[in-house]
Amino acid sequence: SVRGLAAGPETHFGFQTVTEAERREKIYQVFESVAKKYDVMNDSMTLGIHRVWKDILVHKMNPSPGTLLLDVAGGTGDIAFRFINYVRSVRERQLQRKLKHHQNLSWQEISESYKEDKLKSLGDSQVVVCDINKEMLKVGKQKAQHLGYSEGLSWVLGNAEELPFDDDKFDVYTIAFGIRNVTRIDLALQEAYRVLKPGGRFLCLEFSHVSNPLLSRLYDLYSFQVIPVLGEVIAGDWKSYQYLVESIRRFPPQEELKAMIEDAGFFNVDYQNLNSGIVAIHSGFKL
Amino acid sequence: VRCQLYSPQRALQVSAVLRRVSDEQKKEPLASSSQQQFDSHPADHQPEQEPQGPRPSYTGQGGQESEDYESEEQLQHRILTAALDFVPEHGWTAEAIAEGAKTLGLSAAAAGMFHSDGSELVLHFVSQCNTKLSELLEQEQKLVQLGEAEKKPTDQFLRDAVEARLRMLIPYIENWPQAVSILLLPHNIPSSLNLLTSMMDDIWHYAGDQSTDFNWYTRRAVLTGIYNTTELVMMQDSSPDFEETWRFLENRVADAMNMGNTANQVQATGEAVVQGLMGAAVTVSNAETSRAVR
Repeated sequence: SVRGLAAGPETHFGFQTVTEAERREKIYQVFESVAKKYDVMNDSMTLGIHRVWKDILVHKMNPSPGTLLLDVAGGTGDIAFRFINYVRSVRERQLQRKLKHHQNLSWQEISESYKEDKLKSLGDSQVVVCDINKEMLKVGKQKAQHLGYSEGLSWVLGNAEELPFDDDKFDVYTIAFGIRNVTRIDLALQEAYRVLKPGGRFLCLEFSHVSNPLLSRLYDLYSFQVIPVLGEVIAGDWKSYQYLVESIRRFPPQEELKAMIEDAGFFNVDYQNLNSGIVAIHSGFKL
Repeated sequence: VRCQLYSPQRALQVSAVLRRVSDEQKKEPLASSSQQQFDSHPADHQPEQEPQGPRPSYTGQGGQESEDYESEEQLQHRILTAALDFVPEHGWTAEAIAEGAKTLGLSAAAAGMFHSDGSELVLHFVSQCNTKLSELLEQEQKLVQLGEAEKKPTDQFLRDAVEARLRMLIPYIENWPQAVSILLLPHNIPSSLNLLTSMMDDIWHYAGDQSTDFNWYTRRAVLTGIYNTTELVMMQDSSPDFEETWRFLENRVADAMNMGNTANQVQATGEAVVQGLMGAAVTVSNAETSRAVR
């Protein structure tokens, strides 16, 4: 249809109507401005519960050593660091079990196996953190350095709707609290399908819809009255957090997102509600 | 059971892994229960890429292209079957399933489709063994019907059936205790119990049991007891070729048979006693009558 001078198809930015190009620009600016306070704000808004949600996501993933993870919109690295910790501990347990079976090897064989295992404390697992926003990546890299994560970690600037990776590359694709900010979700899902290996898994952690009416009212109250105020007080940015809250309301509910994931070609798609639907984890497989 | 109706758009996106069923049927014996309902799409739409083999032939407008592709369930069965090879090394765990998936060319992440405690792997194995046992008993029955083999007496039949079934555990006997503990997890008990009872049903059916009275329950309970105890003995038997286990089995089956005989004897004795009493009563009453007459 003819839209005159409009720059393109219309979409939403929070509760405003904007063009797609405008939306991308505005979202980029939101995250550019909140990047440094992103983690602090997450903690204060969710009272620290976001850490548990992210733990549950990685636990659900249950990655084995040797897994190649792509964390999209991974910004400040929360999922990536948890992945590395998890894989490291699984690897340690594996090594312990191996040592128990090595009771009757010669000293040389044992020392050789120690050497080779030391080099592979992650067992060849790797995580690629991809984000569209330079500021978020910058904060993530600093955090990694500060916390001492270096092995098996790489940072790539990229757009979820058009990933700079080859087909059939990754074992797991995660997008935690990021898909809400993607302008064309269907494109992002298709890209996810493309870069996953056959048998690979798609995992999405995102705010979703609360069906319980009482909880829903309390949640709305908290979201619209408290969060923007926190945003102003802590990050000096009311509008970005207003956007955040509105974007959560605009995001498709669980079943709709499930249907979209299935449309992209994923099988065995299912979701798990956390905290009665405040957050949901969607999972699908490329079969 | 999920009803899978896919939009035509989805049917166009050919799956990366789900294989043509024609390739499948050579390997997979159990395909009956899965649903493969894809929406039909008009015959002029061709799928963009074919995973392998020639293009599927359409049955014309409104025909179903679906029969050519396996369902997720069948793929899951394939993964679990492949995973069994890795059980001796990794146990009945998600790791074994991950290794199995890798041999099929899938990412290890596909193991995420299953429980992380290995439940489905054990249940799949048990179900497979039960199917094999049924087939074995079916074949034996055919031979008997054709007159090529003798019909075995019940105790021999039961012993052989239980032995055949337990022998299937031998490659995994090291990890079998773990499997049993998984089967006893509360969320698995309905399934494992179901598998056990249907196996007992099968064995008695082929043994020629036609009872419709209380015996039906007794027989199954007894056989279940025999099977479970023999399984436990087998797990810590270290004799060559599990001789001790088979001897134990023989004794238990013999006990069960005797129990049946004892029950009969009790009944016969009871009848004899009753008849004796009746006879005594008649004699006494005759004696009374004759005395009265005199």
